[in-house]
Amino acid sequence: MSSTIPDTCPELGIEVPIAEIDRELHKLWEQDDARTNASLMNLVVYTESSGGLLKNSRIINNLTRDNACRAILVEMDRDQEASLRAWITAHCHLSHGKKSVCCEQISFLLTGRATGRFRNTVFSHLNSDLPLIFWWQGELSDVFTVSLASVMERLIIDSALWADSSASFVRIQKAVEANPMLVIQDLAWTRCWQYRVGIAALFDDSVAQTLLEKIDTVRITYSSSNRNTALQILAWLAVQAGWSHAGELMFETRKGGRIEAFVEAGDDSAPIGLVELSSPETTVRVSQEKGSAHLMKEIESGDYRACSLSPSDPEEPAELVGQQLSRGGKNSLFLKVLPVFLDLLK
Amino acid sequence: MSNPFREDLVSRSRPEPCTVVIFGATGDLTHRKLIPALYNLAVDGELPTGVKIVGFARRDKSDEEFRSGLEELNRKVSRSGHDSEVWDQFINSVTYHCSEFTDDEGYASLAKRLDEIDAERGGKGNRLYYIASAPEFFDDILLHLKKAGLNEAQEGCWSRVIVEKPFGTDLKTAQHLNTVVNQTFHEKDTYRIDHYLGKETAQNLMVLRFANAIFEPLWNNKCISHIQITCAENLGMEGGRGGYYEKSGALRDMVQNHLLQLLSLVAMEPPTDLSADGVRDEKVKVIRSLRQWDTPEKVAKNVVRAQYTAGHVDGNAVPGYREEDRVSPESETEAYVALRLMIDTWRWSGVPFYIRMGKRLPKKSTEISIHFKDAPSVLFGALPSGLPGGNVLVIRIQPDEGISLRMVSKIPGTSLRLEPVKMDFHYATSFGKGSPEAYERLILDAIAGDATLFARRDEVEEAWRFIDHIEKAWHESDKKPPMAEFVAGSWGPSEADEMIKEDGNSWRRL
Repeated sequence: MSSTIPDTCPELGIEVPIAEIDRELHKLWEQDDARTNASLMNLVVYTESSGGLLKNSRIINNLTRDNACRAILVEMDRDQEASLRAWITAHCHLSHGKKSVCCEQISFLLTGRATGRFRNTVFSHLNSDLPLIFWWQGELSDVFTVSLASVMERLIIDSALWADSSASFVRIQKAVEANPMLVIQDLAWTRCWQYRVGIAALFDDSVAQTLLEKIDTVRITYSSSNRNTALQILAWLAVQAGWSHAGELMFETRKGGRIEAFVEAGDDSAPIGLVELSSPETTVRVSQEKGSAHLMKEIESGDYRACSLSPSDPEEPAELVGQQLSRGGKNSLFLKVLPVFLDLLK
Repeated sequence: MSNPFREDLVSRSRPEPCTVVIFGATGDLTHRKLIPALYNLAVDGELPTGVKIVGFARRDKSDEEFRSGLEELNRKVSRSGHDSEVWDQFINSVTYHCSEFTDDEGYASLAKRLDEIDAERGGKGNRLYYIASAPEFFDDILLHLKKAGLNEAQEGCWSRVIVEKPFGTDLKTAQHLNTVVNQTFHEKDTYRIDHYLGKETAQNLMVLRFANAIFEPLWNNKCISHIQITCAENLGMEGGRGGYYEKSGALRDMVQNHLLQLLSLVAMEPPTDLSADGVRDEKVKVIRSLRQWDTPEKVAKNVVRAQYTAGHVDGNAVPGYREEDRVSPESETEAYVALRLMIDTWRWSGVPFYIRMGKRLPKKSTEISIHFKDAPSVLFGALPSGLPGGNVLVIRIQPDEGISLRMVSKIPGTSLRLEPVKMDFHYATSFGKGSPEAYERLILDAIAGDATLFARRDEVEEAWRFIDHIEKAWHESDKKPPMAEFVAGSWGPSEADEMIKEDGNSWRRL
């Protein structure tokens, strides 16, 4: 028996035999007619880190406030003796202070040789007809295969946690080639959503638009674990503005202008502390103070200065996933930006 | 110039920086709806950087007094709460301009103020005028905007106007107002707001119909028996509403605009595209195809008007309509109306549409119900319990926005007994994230130049053309259809039940 989960674990709910999961779930709903079972998707949260089940159960409790789903939590540990355990529970929240809305959660702990039963065990408990969102936590292990990815609708990853992003993204690209409908959602990319929206909004201003053809410097500041996010922003700017990569952090505009980028880690920076595009006359800047809940958006051009606040991106992976789930979409922009990002990673 | 950073980022039109001038800035609408909507857009980062807001009203106030009044109410009503940091930034962009609506000088100084704002941003700027004043000032404001040259956009910029309801009180006044508006602003720059169209479920109507292949083949007279649109309110004339209501009544206050808009979304043909005119072209065809109840006899047969008498709502005793505050004891204003409408198109031939709207009904609820024809009774009609009614698709607009489908199912057991069951989809349950307020969506659309959710001139006028016949029969004819009565807290007069019963139907129990 695994040492990571105690015999009684209220956070994971009732431990049930694998073969009895559906029957026990049914019983769970029979206990209280006043509750509504809501589900718009299957959300599989996969981890290979010890204690991940408990941590993820807390995350699901929060996520289900806004995202109705059947949650399937999986923790794999190949170094232990073979065992396969399962728990069921439901996370219930008051909707608009009235109705109790609940989401089911099934948790699996697979250890030792039982880890080989992962696919059979998990996929037989999906809610039929609902999309499969697969949140892979941590490094891609050899459990991640093209075949596994072929049954997913969405794959959520966090490249900020990867030691070798280039190699891992090659595997992701192969999965996408085999399953072109697969939507990839990198939390590193989600972390800069509000930055991208902010930059785009600033360039709606006619003053900022005059800068477009004259940008000669891009400056991005990030905190140490967010280099991938910083490079993804730079790749996005280049792809959207039509700049070609001219080696290192240099770019060339369609008209042959040179743009130099400075991507710098700052000890005291927010995850992304600054994205600034400038010419000698005009500066467009989005910035965030560490710990602030807001981004500051600014345009400066001679005497003209306009600024406004907008919400900052969340930092916690669970919140990022929540935003990602509520936003949906095909994320084709990310795939468009990916080649330039991989080029910059080199 | 296009903005490459917008591409693939957000699937909506691009809101551009502009100056928003609100006429009637000291009024309730501005304080309760417009400023909180603009503030919430700022909170969500949706309000373009550089947006300035100028409040235009008659009362003498300083910028600070104006701002402090706005803050006081925003703290109470804002959807996202009140974030002081965002508010401080936001409110800095808000200024107050004191002037009579008929004072040339006031508009001249407004023009100067707007030019100064534009100068700060390089000499040119977009302008959005929001006319939220009392309706009697609409003409004056529009004419003075024109006189001061404020309606004209500079090259490369735009100048738009949002006009609040009521958009006229009959066809004649609506046509007059439309003429004044169109003498001042191009039709493409005119946004007649109907906040019902900004509601999530109203927007979802087109998605439900045209993004789900299962519905459209059934959406016609072959499969649908009839359609009901209900707007029930449990409130009466509290807070001095009687004064306004006496001049409008249920038909003009709700049916002419909100409910006919919902009707057109339910009944329209698929548009050729999702452009504003693509959608509005199809909507107006529905209103134009309404069979006209153009004689008192037709009105008497197809429309029921009523007033409530004293009764109980939510357990509280309430007065009758004629005893309400600011209501005449001899009032001839309807607080309830039920209509049978026929749409003379190939798709809807023979399908009655019933609309009912009333005050002091048992609960607050707005919904559209699509009643499908019964299945042939050859198999189950002979059962002792028979077939328990047909399928009903219900689209709930408010509260508890969502969609449900009633179907027939076998009751478990050894005998064959059938009962209706309901499949239910609740927005709040399925999507925990709250929807933006209708005004947020609509103001942002106007800033972005997307008029899809706004009424076009011909829609408004066609709706008035239909409504005017009824008003005329009620108030000007020699054979006025009678005013029915119902007890407050009940579901309306028996005459309305009789009207729908003539077709073999009954009102849906809410």
